Amino acid sequence: MLTLLRDLRKLRGATALSAPDRGRSLALRHVDCGSCNGCEHELTLASGPTVDMARFGLGIVASPRHADVLLVTGPVTTRMREALLIAYAAMPEPRRVAALGDCALGVDVLGSDDQIVGPVESVLPVDLRIPGCPPTPDAIAAALLALVDATTTARR
Amino acid sequence: MSAPLRDGTTYREAVAAALADGWSFAGLHATRSGDVPAVRTLLVSRSGDVCLESVEAGNGSVPTIVDLAPAAGWDEREARDLYGIAFDGHEPLRPLVDHDVPLEHFATSVRGRDAYQVAVGPIHAGVIESGHFRFHVVGDRILHVDARLFHKHRGIERACEGLPLAYGVRTLARACAGCWVTNAVAYAHACEQLLGQQPTPEVARARTILLELERVWNTLNDIGAMCAGVGLAAGNNRFLALTDEARSLNALLTGHRFLFGSVAVGGSDLGLDVHATAAARETLTRIRRGSSRAWRELLFNGSFMDRMSDIGVVDAETARSLGVVGPAARAAGLLEDVRETSPLLAYEGFETAALRRQVGDVQARLEQRALELLPCLDILDRLLSGPVRPAANEHGGPESPIGVGRVESPRGATACVVERDGDRIARLRLRTGSYANWPAVASAAADNLLPDFPLINKSFELCYACVDR
Repeated sequence: MLTLLRDLRKLRGATALSAPDRGRSLALRHVDCGSCNGCEHELTLASGPTVDMARFGLGIVASPRHADVLLVTGPVTTRMREALLIAYAAMPEPRRVAALGDCALGVDVLGSDDQIVGPVESVLPVDLRIPGCPPTPDAIAAALLALVDATTTARR
Repeated sequence: MSAPLRDGTTYREAVAAALADGWSFAGLHATRSGDVPAVRTLLVSRSGDVCLESVEAGNGSVPTIVDLAPAAGWDEREARDLYGIAFDGHEPLRPLVDHDVPLEHFATSVRGRDAYQVAVGPIHAGVIESGHFRFHVVGDRILHVDARLFHKHRGIERACEGLPLAYGVRTLARACAGCWVTNAVAYAHACEQLLGQQPTPEVARARTILLELERVWNTLNDIGAMCAGVGLAAGNNRFLALTDEARSLNALLTGHRFLFGSVAVGGSDLGLDVHATAAARETLTRIRRGSSRAWRELLFNGSFMDRMSDIGVVDAETARSLGVVGPAARAAGLLEDVRETSPLLAYEGFETAALRRQVGDVQARLEQRALELLPCLDILDRLLSGPVRPAANEHGGPESPIGVGRVESPRGATACVVERDGDRIARLRLRTGSYANWPAVASAAADNLLPDFPLINKSFELCYACVDR
């Protein structure tokens, strides 16, 4: 166990991770609406040791009731539309929706029209668009941080 | 390959005879043969030969083979839901893909004192794909699980119909990021069989490199997921970092972290000069060192390993009957790996990795993955010993109306059947290792404790995306 922890500490040293100087946070809830699992894999790594978005206060929470942001991946299949709406309805306000990945933005979607509702913005109001197929862990963290910054500035 | 249409009786006899001869079931799909609806069953021999048994479904129904090959259960339910074929003798033929029916039709009915249901999903608490599980439990003990997947069904097979053969790979392989290369190579092999092409050794080498790169990051990811399954953050994070390193290597070599776009029908565009291959070998050596060191830590961590043994057991007999493939099958003692019988790829001398303790529990599946990582890195080290150049297939072999490709994915044998209409796709079926293994997850969970289900599930680490398509 000590070896694992030592290796991780070395890794953190090499990637020069540091916490930001002022406190801020966003609670994120992810909803997969028919992705290829690429966005999920990269989102998992955004919480991993190299990007570690938790040090910026960006954490994944288990329920939409605890979430500030709904992170939606995939082209929104007809079968996931209702579940997505229920998750959104369960969120406290103020709430934001982020469309994660090209499919969620309606870009280059592959599939049959009758099985796909359309981009996330055809179902919910989208505040943040994170393009990429899939977006890299860095890009995901950077886009979410920009959302925190925009929200903080607007409140001042 | 061609597949003459049989009538119901001779179809069942042919399938039964093949199974008795040691062939195994590898997929079933509904299609059309000319104007006649038909169903085709894919069978595979121990030496890797494939054969299709086709039956006409003129009046909308065919005899079931689920009594002969229980592994055909999901395939028949899917064919009924998506193509309206009835399977005589498959009772009850419950819906699988169709979500427009009430849940009672879908879920197994369980009655009795103290039995109750726990509904989970489609949205899960972590960063996990969408799917619904219905647990029938008494106290904490699971009696039965119904996995209701296909929430992510995008109609990818239908979307491929009518596309030129060369373009199909882009749509089909995007069914799943975790198995992109496997799906693409299986499709390419099927198309090349249709077109009478033969991959040259250079094409085979490039594709094998890509397949093993995919296996490296998937295996690291899957071991990390098991750590996450028991809340061992240090192990999870260490393997996440290794996964990241492997995916960064993919991006360095092909421009994409999941190797999207690196496989094409008709040849290979992969070009790596000596600097790229040397850098790749160096990174892979670092990954080998890091993962071996981390694995040793897990192996000697009592509180971690104590969670793994004797839960989620799928023994060899169950595995064979359910048609389990990949590391999950090998962990139960079914030593089958498509890489042993892949003349179209560069796996000369490959031997299936065998555990000493082949009991098919969570621990065996975890150890099987760790065991398979090293030969996978060895193959890459061998294949990356010199530059890789773009190459084209040899042309001029006999063309055929139906093509089949079979490739070992990180989760087991994946089969792709492509039927052509001129130079376009008439019908296509992708049956991935995950599809083959989902029924085994339900079987493994029965009689275990509900809190152990996440761990049992992660020990298979199946994709939802390439099952739902």
